[in-house]
Amino acid sequence: MNAIFFSLLAVFSLFIFMNLGKIKASKKQMDRDDRIKWGRNRKPNVQQNRDGSKIIEGQAEEVDEQSNK
Amino acid sequence: MSKHSALNTFGRSGNPAFTKNFENTEAFSQSERMTLDGAVNKTAILLALCFAGAFAGWNVPELAMPGLIIGTILAFVTIFRNPAKAGSTAPFYAAFEGMALGGITVFAETQYPGIGIQAIGLTFGILASLLFCYKSGIIKPTENFRLMVFSATMGIFLLYLVSFIMSFFGSGIGFIHSNGLFGIGFSLFVVGIASLNLVLDFDFIEEGAERGLPKYMEWYGAFSLMVTLVWLYIEILRLLMKLRSR
Repeated sequence: MNAIFFSLLAVFSLFIFMNLGKIKASKKQMDRDDRIKWGRNRKPNVQQNRDGSKIIEGQAEEVDEQSNK
Repeated sequence: MSKHSALNTFGRSGNPAFTKNFENTEAFSQSERMTLDGAVNKTAILLALCFAGAFAGWNVPELAMPGLIIGTILAFVTIFRNPAKAGSTAPFYAAFEGMALGGITVFAETQYPGIGIQAIGLTFGILASLLFCYKSGIIKPTENFRLMVFSATMGIFLLYLVSFIMSFFGSGIGFIHSNGLFGIGFSLFVVGIASLNLVLDFDFIEEGAERGLPKYMEWYGAFSLMVTLVWLYIEILRLLMKLRSR
């Protein structure tokens, strides 16, 4: 009885894998901001401007000239 | 400071081959790109080869040790070699690892009859249920999730490595193999971590297909899924053996 149950479980699960695996994941899964960034550059994105200054993405801060004076 | 400073320090992926293949995907035509269909079909091919190997290992249990050694070597070759060649090594990995699993299952079956089919059923049951949870968005893998699973996997790997080295000196880490509450708890934890690795594999395949990676990455995705399934099967078998020996 045990063997029949586990055999059926294995066959049914494989059937689900073969069919569900080919379907695209739901929008709830795919349209997220906190998805894993597989293979994206792990160094921060540094852009060189024309005047030679560098802006580091995600680390730029707005400078308030009033407070600097 | 970055929210994921640890990832920025140690790297985003546990697998060095994953990172470089997500760059420059523009150069491939539609037919040369990775698809979900292709990855699932290649996983089915690897599973069929694993079952064929297991059939051989079941009938000739002496094949288990050579299968395990050659399979492990092929796994490392596939991981650290160019992923474009995964299609040539992954099928052999599946076949040899199948021989090892067949032999190990015979050994377990002689002690605890019926344990093999229970382990197979539970392994595929976990595969299907986690795939459903992933596809429907119930489980959402994030960078922190990956960092946690990767750290735990490396911790388990190091623990097994130390235990293996200590066994040459007639010693070992007892609780790993014991059938006491702590040993069973440890096995449950390892089964949990191995299962969560499946979610990472699903996410890798899904994003690879979405971003149109080269076709050969289908083999690589199928291979990574296969490695996790083999690990999960062995850990479930160990857990069931501990439970049955009480």
